Amino acid sequence: MAYVLIVDDDDDFAHTAAMVLRQEGHDVQIELDTGDASQSMQSKRPDLVVLDVMFPEDASAGFELARSMRHKSENLRDVPIIMLTAINTKFPLGFGAKDIDNDWLPVTDFLEKPVDFDLLRQKVAELLGKPKAAD
Amino acid sequence: MLVFRISSDDSQFPSDESRDEKRLPPMASDQSTQTATYELPLSRERSAETGTGASQRPPPQELLAQNVSWFCQLRWLVIAILVSYGILGLFQGLTTYFGLRPAGLWPFVIAAALTASNLIFMYFARSQTSATMTTINLWGQITADLVTLTAVVYFVGSLETSIAFAYLFHIVVSCVFFGRRQSLMVTLMAIGLFAACIAAEYILKMLPAMSIFAESPFDRNTPSALAVLALNFFLTIAIWIVVWYLTSHLASAVRQREFELAETNRRLVAAQEERSRHMLATTHQLKAPFAAIYSNAQLLQQGYCGELPDEAMQIIQRIAARCRRLTAEIQEMLQLANLSSTGQESLARTTIASTDLLLWCISQVDPIARERSVTIKADLRPVPLVGAEDHFKMLFINLLSNAVIYSHKNGHVNVSCRRGPSAEPVVAIADAGIGIAAAKLPRIFQEHYRTKEAVQHNKESSGLGLAIVKNVAHMYNIRIRVESRLGVGTKFELTFPVPDGREGNTQ
Repeated sequence: MAYVLIVDDDDDFAHTAAMVLRQEGHDVQIELDTGDASQSMQSKRPDLVVLDVMFPEDASAGFELARSMRHKSENLRDVPIIMLTAINTKFPLGFGAKDIDNDWLPVTDFLEKPVDFDLLRQKVAELLGKPKAAD
Repeated sequence: MLVFRISSDDSQFPSDESRDEKRLPPMASDQSTQTATYELPLSRERSAETGTGASQRPPPQELLAQNVSWFCQLRWLVIAILVSYGILGLFQGLTTYFGLRPAGLWPFVIAAALTASNLIFMYFARSQTSATMTTINLWGQITADLVTLTAVVYFVGSLETSIAFAYLFHIVVSCVFFGRRQSLMVTLMAIGLFAACIAAEYILKMLPAMSIFAESPFDRNTPSALAVLALNFFLTIAIWIVVWYLTSHLASAVRQREFELAETNRRLVAAQEERSRHMLATTHQLKAPFAAIYSNAQLLQQGYCGELPDEAMQIIQRIAARCRRLTAEIQEMLQLANLSSTGQESLARTTIASTDLLLWCISQVDPIARERSVTIKADLRPVPLVGAEDHFKMLFINLLSNAVIYSHKNGHVNVSCRRGPSAEPVVAIADAGIGIAAAKLPRIFQEHYRTKEAVQHNKESSGLGLAIVKNVAHMYNIRIRVESRLGVGTKFELTFPVPDGREGNTQ
């Protein structure tokens, strides 16, 4: 069992994903805002973060949170991050695995919205199996 | 990367109030209780500046710098004319035949002075790039030119010939390149120099009267002749002033137009960018709800909420399928919008190995091919393609998935890649599927166009795939030949431009 934090402003999505991951036996916490998520992480370190990119107040808040986790916190540096994106990862409109970069886009993996729950389960299992995957 | 553009833009505008209210940061609770005001700034503030001062606006500095060099080149022509005239004057017989006075040394002296000054100006034009230096150079040239011209006018015959109209060249050119005030200065400078020349020659008699003609047609000392000369002088000046007035007026009108045109163009470009940003944001807004519906449907489908009756299950499957299709359609609209906008041209072009790329694309359509028991046969030879990898992926995936989708069950798709007769890369994708009627072939690249047969065969398509293909093909000068027969199959043959050093021209 692991502690998973889902950070997404879309509570419909967050709750369904939480339901799936809870069924897998994980302890899941939902945060709808990156500021709240940041505070929650300080008080309890998650084993994995599922993070959205765009938030209503800041279209790149997801990136900012990922960067601050990687660069500003000793404790959170190695937490694997799955970045959710509604922007296609295959075509030149967004970014994909090839753009993962420790400075610019320090995440562990991508998952495209609409999320296929089989894929979500698979990626979560993979990342929790090897917690050092962050680098 | 586009996401960042959105972010910087979003920060300028307050987002939906309803959204803002919901997520006030907990730290700011004491601030949020105070009343704050915010006024949305007017967006039209910029337009105020367009009307005023535009006619006085000088032309851009690069244009002036270019013209400085152009004037230097023109001056060589003048020097050549002067030297030719001087050489002509050396032949006594010729000059007397035309009734001219032997020119003597003055054309050579003036040509030499002009050559020296021209060389200096050219040197400065090349070495000095700052705006003030260009301006100083330009005014230096104008002054030197007018002084030289005055000398020429004096020697040729200030009032006996029409040479004084040569000042008009300078007046007109200055009207075109300068604002009205500066061109008036040039005009007044010309008048001053010409008047000084006349005064020295006729009134003060400091200089001997000169003319290229051997004999003056009239005696300069008779009062009537002087009256004619005076009239000539004032008429000349009047004509210059009228020419200055007309030309500078027209030039400033043209400049005003030019400025307005540039402004309109700038706004159009900004609007275009705004539109594509808006498109991306809208897509995000549209995709998110579908993602939510889809994830809820998946929960039901996968039994997270207990067993469901078969009928309910079917309905949920339909909901999920429709959701996926709509998401794919939105995706395609977005791709198309991005391809049509110019912003995407900035994507880096690299040389891509055709085999790797095509194999990757085939692997992407493999799941749908399996679903339909369609086999894909590939006969690929390595050929380098130059372009943005993502664009080519879009191109091939769209063509490959069409070939698979419009094949019959157990059908086959042939993909080949080779070099054409003049080493140009040729990629062919052929299926033995439903085919396209000849009459409908020219329309298949239109957005949202789908043949009746295609709709019957496969309902799940937006009709945007080939429009995307067309856009990529236009971007890279790829020739596409479609060969099809209804009920037999379709073959798309893509001929790429030869990837040599000329790829810069392919746009």
